[in-house]
Amino acid sequence: MASIIDFQDICKTFKVPERQTGKWKMLSNFFNRKHKLVHALQNVSFSINEGDIVGYIGPNGAGKSTTIKIMSGILTPSSGNCQICGFVPWKERQEYVKNIGVVFGQKSQLWWDVPVIDSFELLKDIYKIPNEEYAETLKVLNKALNLDEIISRPLRQLSLGQKMKCELAGSLLHRPKILFLDEPTIGLDAITKLAVRDFIKYINKKWKTTIILTTHDMSDIDALTNKIILIGKGQILYNGTFDNIKEKYSNQKIIQVELSKEYEDFNLDGYEVISVNKNFVTIKNLPQKEFHTKEFINQITKKYDIVDFQISSISIDEVLAKLYKDYEL
Amino acid sequence: MRSYLGIFKMQFKSELQYRAKAWSGIATQFFWGILLISLYTAFMANDQVNGFSISQMASYIWLGQAFFVMRYIYLLPSTSEEIVSGNVGYKFVRPINLYNQWFSEHLGQKVSATLLRFPLIIIISLLLPSTIGLSLPVSITAFLLFILSLIVGTLLSVAISMLAVYLVFKTLSDRGAVTLVSTISGLLGGTYIPIPLMPDFIQDIVNYLPFRYISDLPIRIYIGNVGISDALVHIGICIAWLVAIVILGKILIKATAKKAVIQGG
Repeated sequence: MASIIDFQDICKTFKVPERQTGKWKMLSNFFNRKHKLVHALQNVSFSINEGDIVGYIGPNGAGKSTTIKIMSGILTPSSGNCQICGFVPWKERQEYVKNIGVVFGQKSQLWWDVPVIDSFELLKDIYKIPNEEYAETLKVLNKALNLDEIISRPLRQLSLGQKMKCELAGSLLHRPKILFLDEPTIGLDAITKLAVRDFIKYINKKWKTTIILTTHDMSDIDALTNKIILIGKGQILYNGTFDNIKEKYSNQKIIQVELSKEYEDFNLDGYEVISVNKNFVTIKNLPQKEFHTKEFINQITKKYDIVDFQISSISIDEVLAKLYKDYEL
Repeated sequence: MRSYLGIFKMQFKSELQYRAKAWSGIATQFFWGILLISLYTAFMANDQVNGFSISQMASYIWLGQAFFVMRYIYLLPSTSEEIVSGNVGYKFVRPINLYNQWFSEHLGQKVSATLLRFPLIIIISLLLPSTIGLSLPVSITAFLLFILSLIVGTLLSVAISMLAVYLVFKTLSDRGAVTLVSTISGLLGGTYIPIPLMPDFIQDIVNYLPFRYISDLPIRIYIGNVGISDALVHIGICIAWLVAIVILGKILIKATAKKAVIQGG
């Protein structure tokens, strides 16, 4: 499949004034300001195919938002090439942005004081969407997101979840080829989160919209996509399937054991104790040791008298935390 | 054009949400009108200053109050808020020019706020006795030129506001810079003291600056203090200022936008 986004050796360096503390240093800073260079992105290259959903993940300050901003034409990189939908975003901004939709989870593109539908009408004018197309798109979005009730109310009266639904709809009115979602599920409750995820999947299927999303919620990634790009300290660390990463880390199990009584110092060869609470102990196998249930039962019953136990895989969040740790992020 | 009309409409709708704001604006304008007229009537005891009569002064003040929103240089709260918070990022992802977006927002707000305020002020001030109230325009030609110059003047007022937007965009702070631009243009544009009442040497300076074309010129055409042929020349000068300030604003905002870093998120 043809790639729709091509990033080549993109670098972005910020010049940041260096602030020093202490009154004399602050005074001298006032007259003679020192700058230091912060490398937000270093030789970032990747390409994304048309119709893909790609998770763009990394810890805070890794360069995710900077990348999104470059891709949406807001920021000009210090060096490197980038082609999206056949455009160089920051050079042909006005033409290019007709092809994209953007949702910044912590900002709002809709007008605060007026009913949401009025904001949509303005977006229709701004993107010069023909009336019939607009009506049809709105119908689809209304149905998928259940907007009917909330659309006639001013934005300021809506809850965070309702706002996010409206933001998503607003970013899709002109049927962009690419949708950038910067933390779309931040702060949402469980039900709304599921609704938003379903909606993203639905749009991707229906309109073949390419979707790039950043998130810290790994269940978003798990539910939406198998393709991830991992960025840390301004560099791409991993670009591939999420399954690969999960496999690599998921041989580790977490076992909760209920013992018949309280033991003074509980320990088991090859296992690390996570927590002890009276006769309840939580342990996990060391990464170098492969886990076999039968072997585990034999080993533990020889040493301790157990009542019950429960085995679970480590959570996705833990997978990611380990991943960050391995890459020293 | 369709996009800018849309933005214009949106400002109108937003403005209509605030009825209390419009009423309190009208009340303030009345208070100021009466205060300024009493004050200058007391100063103009000998009836005429520089060929400017008390009744002309009263009309000058009332028109100034009726079209106060148009002449006053300010920034929309939403504009400074979005620049400081970084929400302005969304303006960058729209397929229209950044300067034009801000320009049409401000113009839309100014026009809609004025439309909600001026009729009542005009009607009531027309009903007052001629020494303290608003008189009819000196001629129909003068009235038409008043309308024309008021339109150009409003555009000029928005263009100067855009320079204030530039300062906020550059400094990321909405204090100071805006107050400075607003006060200077108000003082030199006749908002606080009618220009005909200023000493000659200050009038000489003020006449070389763009600020007097915002509201002083239209009002003086209306009251007949500026003749018809002079009016045409001055409207021409006003248009030249308008073009120059729009170009300057566009260059400054474009240069800043290139270097802008939308923070956070």
